[in-house]
Order: sequence, then C-alpha cells, then structure tokens
Amino acid sequence: MSDTITIEATINGRPRTLEVAPNHTLLEVLRDEIDLTGTKECCVVGECGACTVIVDGRAMNSCLMLAVEIDGADVLTVEGLETEDGLSPLQDAFLEDGAAQCGFCIPGQLMAATALLMHNPNPTVEEVQEGLAGNLCRCAGYEQITRAVLDAAKEALDA
Amino acid sequence: MHNVGASVRRGGGYGRVTGHQEYVADIKLNDVLYVKLITLDVARARILSIDTSEAEKVPGVAFVFTPDDLPKPMPRFGPQFQDRPILADGETKYHGEPVAAVAAESKDAAEEAAVRVKIQYEELPNGVFSVAAALAPDAVLVQDPSIRPAGDPLAHTNVISEKHFGWGDIEELAEESDLVVEDNYRFPMVTHFAIEPHGFMAVPEDGGVAIWSTIQHPYLLQKMMAKMLEMPLSKVRVHAPDPGGGFGGKQIPKYEPLVTYMALKAGRPCRLVLSLDETFQLVRRSSAEIRVRIGFDSEGYLKFQDIETNFLVGAYVDIADRVVGKSSYSAAGPYRVPAVKIIGRTIVSHTMPSTAFRGFGIPQISWARESLIDEAALRLGIDRLEIRLRNLARLGDEFIPLERADGDWEQTVRTAAKRIGWGDPLEPNRGRGIAVGLKSGPTTGLSYSTVRLLFDGSAIIYAGTSDMGQGARTIFAQIGADELGVELDQVRVVMGDTAMVPFDQQTSASRSSVLMGTAVHRACQDIQHKVTAMAANLYGIDEEAIKVEGGVLALRDREVSLIQVVQEALAPLGGEVIGNGEMRKNKDPNHPLGGTAAFFEFNCTASEVEVDTETGHVTLIKHVTVGDVGRSLNPLQVKSQDDGAAIQGLGHTLMEHYIFDDAGRVRNIGAIDYRILTSMDLPLELHSESTENADGPGPYGIKGVSEGSLLVTAPAVGAAIREATGVVIRDLPMTPQRVWEAMQEEKK
Amino acid sequence: MNKFEYARPETVGEAVRLLEEYGSDARILAGGTDLVIELRNRWTEPKVVIDVKRIPEFASSITENGGVVSISAGTVMADITASELIQSRFPALAEAAVVVGSVQIRARATLAGNICNGSPAADTSPPLLVYGAVVVVAGPSGVRRIPIDDFIVGPGKTALAPTDLVLAVELPIPEGAFGAAYTRLTRRRGTDLASITLCCGVDGDGNTRLAYGSVGPRAFLEIDDTGILADPTVPIAEKSEALDRMFHRASPSPKSLRASPDYRLAMLRVLGARALETAISRMTKELVS
Repeated sequence: MSDTITIEATINGRPRTLEVAPNHTLLEVLRDEIDLTGTKECCVVGECGACTVIVDGRAMNSCLMLAVEIDGADVLTVEGLETEDGLSPLQDAFLEDGAAQCGFCIPGQLMAATALLMHNPNPTVEEVQEGLAGNLCRCAGYEQITRAVLDAAKEALDA
Repeated sequence: MHNVGASVRRGGGYGRVTGHQEYVADIKLNDVLYVKLITLDVARARILSIDTSEAEKVPGVAFVFTPDDLPKPMPRFGPQFQDRPILADGETKYHGEPVAAVAAESKDAAEEAAVRVKIQYEELPNGVFSVAAALAPDAVLVQDPSIRPAGDPLAHTNVISEKHFGWGDIEELAEESDLVVEDNYRFPMVTHFAIEPHGFMAVPEDGGVAIWSTIQHPYLLQKMMAKMLEMPLSKVRVHAPDPGGGFGGKQIPKYEPLVTYMALKAGRPCRLVLSLDETFQLVRRSSAEIRVRIGFDSEGYLKFQDIETNFLVGAYVDIADRVVGKSSYSAAGPYRVPAVKIIGRTIVSHTMPSTAFRGFGIPQISWARESLIDEAALRLGIDRLEIRLRNLARLGDEFIPLERADGDWEQTVRTAAKRIGWGDPLEPNRGRGIAVGLKSGPTTGLSYSTVRLLFDGSAIIYAGTSDMGQGARTIFAQIGADELGVELDQVRVVMGDTAMVPFDQQTSASRSSVLMGTAVHRACQDIQHKVTAMAANLYGIDEEAIKVEGGVLALRDREVSLIQVVQEALAPLGGEVIGNGEMRKNKDPNHPLGGTAAFFEFNCTASEVEVDTETGHVTLIKHVTVGDVGRSLNPLQVKSQDDGAAIQGLGHTLMEHYIFDDAGRVRNIGAIDYRILTSMDLPLELHSESTENADGPGPYGIKGVSEGSLLVTAPAVGAAIREATGVVIRDLPMTPQRVWEAMQEEKK
Repeated sequence: MNKFEYARPETVGEAVRLLEEYGSDARILAGGTDLVIELRNRWTEPKVVIDVKRIPEFASSITENGGVVSISAGTVMADITASELIQSRFPALAEAAVVVGSVQIRARATLAGNICNGSPAADTSPPLLVYGAVVVVAGPSGVRRIPIDDFIVGPGKTALAPTDLVLAVELPIPEGAFGAAYTRLTRRRGTDLASITLCCGVDGDGNTRLAYGSVGPRAFLEIDDTGILADPTVPIAEKSEALDRMFHRASPSPKSLRASPDYRLAMLRVLGARALETAISRMTKELVS
C-alpha cells in the first residue's frame, strides 16, 4: 500500500504536483500542506460553506472532497481572487459594503459569490440568497453580503 | 472630525477578504504536537480505568495525557468559582467532558490514537437534567460539597446561589391591583455556533509560557494561567488573534489550561483546534425557567412584579452566576414599578457548562416578562404598545434603586412602532408584536490604551480589546484619526498580545467603545497636551493660550497641525509622542452588582408575521429593531451588529435548541440537526435603526451596542404569532411543529 | 478516516472487477457528499475507495432515446436542475434535485449516489417512484434493469449486491398529459434534510401516483386508479378520505429528531393535498396545450 498518491492540479493559476494521502480531504491539504489557510474549517459536513472553493468553475465544499479528486482540475481559492491588478470587484464590494464582520465565513462567501457571478452575471436578490444559501454567517444579517454581491455585479455590467 | 460618525471601511477588512488574516487555526508553530480530546458517549459516568497502552503504540504519538499527569488534587479553575477540572475528575459530569487527551506528531496519528484509548466506565443513574430534577429533595448533587466554597450554606444542594433583589412591598401592591396575571415560561439551551470553532495553542518559553487562544478576555486568561502555574504575569504571554465570532462563548478560559499543561510536559508547542461539533459540548447559553406574576391597575399601570428566575447553568459555573445576578437584577425591565421582588437562582446540572452569551440572561427573562405583559394588556383591553408607553421609565427616572434611565426610551419605542406600522390593518393570518428590554452595560471596567504619534504623522494605537467582528479595531482607529489629525489609513491598531498591549479588563457587555474608546480618547488627549506644551515652548506662547481640537492647534494668530509641531520640535533626531489613557470604573461595594451600569442598552423590537395555519410555518413579514445607542461611531458597523443580533435572536425564537435524550446525551450535535438561520430564512424586511441623542458616557456621547437587538426578539415574535393565530406559546423555539401543536391544543 | 487504497478505474469492467475482488470492503466514491462524512466518522472503514468519475459512461449526461430519458450515474443535481429536458418532461424531479443541499452540494451530489445511499428521506426517491424510473446496473454477470420500487429496499439498503455498480437511471417519458409536483417538509426555508418528502403525479386518465418518504423505512408509492383524487372538478375537501388511504404505510418513528409522528402524519395530508392540486393544475395545462 502506497501512502501517498501523486496528483497534478492547477491551484490559483499555478500548476502544482502534490503528494497526497488518499484519506486527506482537499480542505486539509489546502490548509495543512500547501499553506493556503484562507479556506476555513468549521462544520465539516457540508452545511456551513466556510470551506468553499471553486473547482473547474463550480463552487464546492472542500471538506467533502478527497484531495486526490482534484487531479487534473483547476482550483481557485480565496487567495487566488486578488491579482496584480488588485482586489477582485467582489472583494472590493465586500469591503465597501461592510460585508465582513468577524470575517471567518467571508472566504467561503466570496468563493460562492464568485462562482455565482461566473454563471449568472446579473442575479436578482433571490438568486443571490439562493446562491449563497450554503454559506452560514453568524455575525451578520446577510444583508451586507447580498448587497455587496449585487453591487459587484452591477459594477461589472456597467464597466 | 470626519471619521467618527462615518461608515468608514472596517479595519482589518483587507485581511478578511483576501484570506490573509490569521485566526488561531491558521497560525503554524514549529514542532507542534496535535491534541485530540477523548470524551465518552454518556453524560454521567464514573471512570473506572483509562488504558492508554494501545494508543501509545500508534506511530507518531507523543503521549496520552490523563489525570495522572496532573497535580493532585486535580487543579480546578473558573472566573467565579474554581470548580472546573482540567480533565474529568473521576467522573464525567456532562456529555462531552474530556477524560483524556492525545498529543501526536500529526492529526492522523492523534486521531488513530484517540480511538484506541480504552476507557472503562460505569454510567451513573439519576442525572440532573432539569430545574425540577435539580431542586428535588433527593436530587443527586452535581457538584461535590468539597469543591463548593468553604462555609457555603447551599453546598448540599444544586443551587450555587440564590439572589434577592427588589424594593417595596409586593403583597401590599398586589392587594391594590385590579388585575394580577401569572405564568411560567421556558428558554431552551442554545449554543453560540460561531463559525470559527475555539482554538488553543501553548508553548513553554523562557521560564514562562506563551498561549494562543480565540479568547475574548486575554488578560483574564493571563491572570488565571499565571496563578495556576505560579508564574509571574510578565512570563505568561497571551496571543489573542481576532476571533472569528465570539458572542460570549469565547470569553472565559476553557481548554487553555489543559493544552498548557500538555505543552509543559512535552517541552514543545501543543495545538488543539476544536471541531464545530466539539464546541456544541463546550459552550451554550444558560437556559431558564421563569415564573412571573405581575399586577396592574385597570388603566394598565404597573403595580408590582414578582419574578422567580431559575437558570440551569450546567456542571460548572463558568461565568453563569454573574449572568444570573446581573440579569435578574433588572428583570422587571425598563419600567416604573412601585414594588418588585426578584429571586434569581444559579442551578447546576449534568449538562455542558453554560457561559456568557450575547444578552447574558436578559433574553430569557424578557421572554417571560414581555409575554406576560401582553397577556395583561389583552385582558385589560389596552393596546400592547400603549401599555408599554404608560409604564416606560423616562429619562432620569430611578427605575431601579441607584440606576437611572439614561435615554429617551420613549422615542425609541415610538420609532419602532412607526416603522412596523403599529395599528395599521392586518392581512389574514398575520399579527404584530412589540416588546422592550434593556441590558446593563458594564458595572466595573478598566481599560488602558497607549497611543504613539510617529514622526511622519502616522500613528499606532494599542488597545487590548478583542475585535471579534463588532469592529472595535475600526472604532479606535476612527477616534485616533480624528483626535490626532491623522489619515485613517495611516493608523495601525495593535491588539491581542498581552506582552505588547496594556491591560484591558475584558471585551464583554458591549463595553468597548465606551470604556476602551474613552481610554483611547484620553491617550490622544494626553498627546494633545504634550504637543501643546511643545508648541508653547517652540513658539514662546503660554500653554493656556493654545486651544487644541482634533489634530489642530489654534495659536493666537494662526493654526498649526499637531504633526507640524511634532516635526518642528523633535527635529533633527526625530522620535515620537507617546500618550497614555485610562478609563476606570471602580467597584462599588455597596451596590448589589458591584457597580451601577455604565450605560443601558435599551431596545424596542417589533415584528409582523404571517402564519401558515395548516403547517405552523411562520413567515417574518417585517422585523424592526431600534436601539438607544447615544451615537453611532460607525453607522454601518452598528447596523451590521444590530442585524446580526436580530438574526441570532430569531434563531432561538424560531429554530435553535439542543435536543437531549433521557440520559442527558445531546442528540443534535453539529450543523445538520442544529438549525440556525441561513440567507433563505431572513425576514422579508429587516430594519435596524438607532436613536442617537449623544447622551451616553463614552466619547462623543456613545453608549455600547451589539446586544440590544436580540434581547426581546422572542416576545415580539411570540406576540405576533399570538395575534395571528390566537395561540400562546411559553416555550422556545417556536418551530413550525410547536406552533402547529399549539394550534391543535387550541382547537380542543 | 482510516487508511484506504484509492482506485480510479477507467472502465466499467475494471470497476466491477475491483468490486468482485473487494466486495463489501470497497466503497464507491461518486460525489462524496455522503461517503466522506461516513469515512470521517468511521461509520465505514473500507479497504479501497473506488472513484468512478473517470469512467466515460459516468460523465454527466442526460439524453433522450426512443421515449426514454437516461441520466448517467455521474450526473450531478446541478445538471439535473439546469436541464431543460428534465424541467419540461420531469419537473418534479427538477424540483427535488434543486433542494438537495446547497449550491456547493449540488455541484457534487449525483442522482445515483442519492438513491444508492438509501436514505428514506432522499429527495429524489418520490419523483423517481412517481415517474416509474428504472435503474441500470452493471455487475459480474452483465447489465440489468431494476424498477425503482424494487431498487429501494430499506434504510441504507438497496437491491444492489456488493459487486454491483449503477450506470444510469432511466425515466420513461409520460405518454399523454401528466402533471407532477414535488414538495417536502423542513424545519427552515434554508438548506435542510426533509422530515417529509412527497411527490404527486396525475395523468389524463384519472390515475394518481403518490410517493412519500421520511415517514418509514423507505419511500412508498401508492396508486389511485379510481379517478377520485385526479378529478379536477371534485373539491379537495371531498378527497380527504381517499387521500388519507394513500398514507396507510406511513409509520414515522417517535425517535426522530426532526419531527414528531403526529406532526408528520398531519403534514402528509396537508402537503399531499397541496401537491395533488399542483399536479392536477399542471396536468390540466398539458391537456389544454
């Protein structure tokens, strides 16, 4: 029995070769082995969304994925949202609209929102609430987060 | 002055939206050992043996830590009573109490070892899981009398303390009352569910120890650990990164002592980060059963209130006795009441210990009191808003001996009533409710701040408050920026390190803008004085002739900025100007709570609901919460906190509760079966507003915020459900099933 | 989690061979939303986890052929929800798929996984029963087809042997007008596991198919061919006896965390009536068009 499996994935735009144990989740490997601690661990049953990442263009709970499953995939985490051009429009909107309080749920919210706007650039309030329904926030009333997503969408459409 | 009062961007926001912010779980220490707790799937059990032999064989295991590794007798700790053992002492007192802990080189090894530790135990019968069980004459004692304080007359009961408050003669007033109503209400066990679970790390250091914790009170932790380990404060360093949500559940030390002892044994860092599930077995709100009896005259004026609060606090007291005392003291609410009698009891049980939770004990008590006032209003035929306005204390009223109403509470109530459309016609199956409540701010306090105005005009503020999302960091930066004339983005706020930041008593009771805010303000004023002296010296003017406001000195003939003076005075070597500020509210030995409240958080909540009468589902049509805040230093942050508190309040109102089996085991641990509100469960309209009359004790007239909006959520919604359906519910949460069951009962 | 081998077969044959070798020491990994939780809690400690997502037949696909819509085993809930084919032909299935968990869950959870997990509260079971789905299964002796009502056995139990692998779920397109609706009972509007799952389908010949779950060991299908329930001219109040009889197999557990037996039994009637009305109105629209 080999202890680890070699996988290749693109993470935040960077091709990487990783040795991962079959029984480690993607969340664990991101946080513990490649130091991408922006993705957070909370419920580990796929309910809270704090661990949300984008894999091949879809928002997923990294706590429910084995790391091996991203072999050949394109993974985006919160650390990958900022580029040389600066913060993403969503990140900016989150700051401007005061969406982050304690901030712990925010990486997950940002990833779910990023995925939402990728597929639906002009969502309604209801669509934003549904799109982010898998991301729990205990600090806020969700309103500032929703507002930020709508504002970012509007920014992008107006641009 | 342009930052204070503006909704400026949150300090620490950048780190939060990029994932760069380091919470405790993100901090990597070299050579760390991973700790895993071992618990039993039983509430009450006698531990017969702990066999670590198989666990120790797992590769990568450093050791298994058991009570044998601790001094005897088992060290105990707690903020009020020293009752909590570091590990279960011969007996588990609640489902989830740690019995032993593994330390290993990897999480995998720790997990492998944990399942191999063999614990022989004997489940014990007659666990105490309710108030009735605790108070029964033959009840098992949850706490052995030997760990109760010496000479405690209640040591042979499950009552930790019984408090008596009140004034006047209630029986006399009862005779004068035209209507007396009485009922019993219950408030369930709910948990904080911060999205960041608790985390703890410790490493031995140079004759001392360094501890990382998600703690809200770093200096309390420092003090307790120094005492426990018999080390000087200067050698106990607490790092307290901004917590990912606290709500009170991270105020008091929990597993820091365990992790520290393990680190001392190992000579290496030890790290314990809890799972969400483990936090369910660590922290909760004190549940309560409340009996209320209230008398009115025929016009709806209060004659007396007779309140008995029985709080079930769990196996160890933690800060719950304070919860009971402080909250019971103001149980009669923000009203003028001629006679009041309050009995508050702190009762232990074989359940996980409760701790502070936003609102302390006020939501529990208000649920009972406000619901009963509605009952009276209905019987007297008086509008439920009107009855409150008739009895509401007015500004300056001594509504509790030694305490004065510190705001125009009537204004707040009228704002809420207007916003909800009180009195407007209602659609079918709809109802409205309105309720008022208040919570005392801190009764004592001590905050120090140091501010450094640097040579280039930037500044550093040291403030030991914990920013867990309420935005303290931002507030202090705003104050500093305005008082020193510094650009907001040139202000750094340093928190969370007891070795670098001066003392702050704690972050709780919504105190920080008022107490630490004042300390920061005074530190800035200290700098202003120093710079005024520099200017006097530099320009040959009398100090008295110089006026300073914000970052500007008004000399006789011109204005000059603070930093200009500094640069002129300190050139060519450079340097900085250091200011210190202190805010102290001393303990008052004559006051039952140790001091009057620095301020009150007064709130009026109004709610409109629609009930699906076939299924019991409640839709929140509109939810309004208005708080008396004095002044909003950062309106967006205030609204965010108020929204969040309202949503959290709706949680315990509509869906949150622990479910136990008959043997005291929690059945719904974790996110799947413990329901909190998601973005899909929000009121269709949520309005959070503030009354701002600049009448608070803090800088610019502020009062504390962040707890008000969940104080009376439950009675407001309960009253609305009552109006919509006719049913009276006295138990929370008002889940669809419970509403439906109440409607079925009503039909019979 | 325990230490296990990870296998990623590239053909159905390879997968079946692995299953033959390991039997019940193997677990199949599709979306992982159930399996990873079981692994983490050590409710299952397999020797090998077989990731079937690289097998070509598993790739997400929804195709129509000769009056039958075939949903491959690897098709995730998000794709079912988004499929115009499913929305138009099997709207109740789209309604069920869209409430399975959150967006994140639906990006991973497969229809096959949902039925193989065997939860009595699976959202997709009632629509599959109402639509008469057939499960296509590969095993050592070849491919066979199992009607969904036979496939579902009990809590955590299906008709699959340890050496079997689901390849697809087939749904016959209803001939003639058919209206169906899915509904459920939850504790909150947000993501939740269902305390009742219910699907009602009505055809133009007066037949009513009503399936319900989470009130017993498995989801049940009941058929009323008397025409009473399906009749749009009869007021719903007069159908309550007939509707009542459809729920005779409901036996909700008193030990449930999510809802009490009394509440569930009462809500079956309430939700059943509502779903019936929706189904009738959808069927009527189809008749007209």
